[in-house]
Amino acid sequence: MAAEDTAEDAAQVAAQVAGAPAAGPVAGSGEAPTSVDIPHEVRIAFAHAAAQHLVDRLGARAVHVKGAALDPSLVPGRSYSDADVLVHPSDVPAVLSALRDHGWDLINTFAYGSSFEHSATFRHEDFGLLDVHRLFPGTGPTPEAAFESLWAQRQTISLGGRPCAVPSRAAQACLLLLHAARAGNDAKAARDVDCVWTSATDAERTGVLEWADRLEAHVAFSVITGTLDDHAADPAYDLWRVAARGGTRVEEWRARIRAARGVRAKLAVAGRSVLVNVEHLSIVRGAPLTRREVVAEFFARPVRGVREQLHRRRVGS
Amino acid sequence: MSSRGPAYEPAEDVGAVVSPDGLTVWVAGLPGGPIHVLEGVAASIWTAATSSPAEGWRTRVAAAWEQSADAVAEQVDAFVADLVARGLLRPAG
Repeated sequence: MAAEDTAEDAAQVAAQVAGAPAAGPVAGSGEAPTSVDIPHEVRIAFAHAAAQHLVDRLGARAVHVKGAALDPSLVPGRSYSDADVLVHPSDVPAVLSALRDHGWDLINTFAYGSSFEHSATFRHEDFGLLDVHRLFPGTGPTPEAAFESLWAQRQTISLGGRPCAVPSRAAQACLLLLHAARAGNDAKAARDVDCVWTSATDAERTGVLEWADRLEAHVAFSVITGTLDDHAADPAYDLWRVAARGGTRVEEWRARIRAARGVRAKLAVAGRSVLVNVEHLSIVRGAPLTRREVVAEFFARPVRGVREQLHRRRVGS
Repeated sequence: MSSRGPAYEPAEDVGAVVSPDGLTVWVAGLPGGPIHVLEGVAASIWTAATSSPAEGWRTRVAAAWEQSADAVAEQVDAFVADLVARGLLRPAG
């Protein structure tokens, strides 16, 4: 390289340094923030890091599951759209409160998130979507005990530059299968099952089965092994049958009521079955619902349930 | 500062992700954002300043851009000082 070139290049590098960073809220340049494309995976990594940061501050405990937290050797190239964090049940209220205090908007509550009422969804303008799990569907014997089992054999990985606890590799495989068990005919779930179960080695399968035992996940795991009907007497059977094979809204709510433990819990679920999930509908519509829309949806749900029931009867007859 | 460790580290309330090619670094305030984007030379400076060993980190920046350390030292130091002032970096303890 000629001396003149070197001098010129040095000037260019110095100029770049003086003006950098190049984007985002711009440090060093004094310019106003500019809009830039930030990869989806980066935003999600920071969602994990932000959740962990709050968990650490609170002295709480959480394990990061699926998505960016998944061991990449389990399902190579698996895509993801949000961050999932399983929080110790007793720490959940504090974590939810802290998230709301730091720019995270609650967009779906536990009660309306899924039939299993396991997660609350938050959205952040920079970091995207975060699912806070208070339990992992299918695991037991209690959410607390399941968390402790996973925590006892946790590993640590870096997500968004922050050390985050994740389950052991075999536990991750087991959780992925339990997630697939309630995904019906979803192609991504089918690939998960193929990678971590169907095509797995005997040793890997043994490891998964050990975790299914440890987490008392027999009913949910029976979806994977095709033996769900052996558990027809279990209160959770219908819930898993509907999740795995599909069903009407009425069947889904019946299953939720059957799976709820205790009279009070059953009544609470039954009460919710006729309420309208305003939060979720607002997200779907992209704007807050009007009172009229809420009323319309209130009546539409039972009608929809009846229509689905009628349709199934016709199909079945 | 330990000469075996890095010269700087991300501040307590900061997370960072480096692109596979090392040419972009995303730096986020935690837990509420925002995300800062460092590209090119800025990314090199962040990576070298936060990588071990501390000794020679400016030289590593300069070498990555085929420059002498003397030619860019002043600007590199000014940029790092700016990152520290913004609460994104801190001297490694």
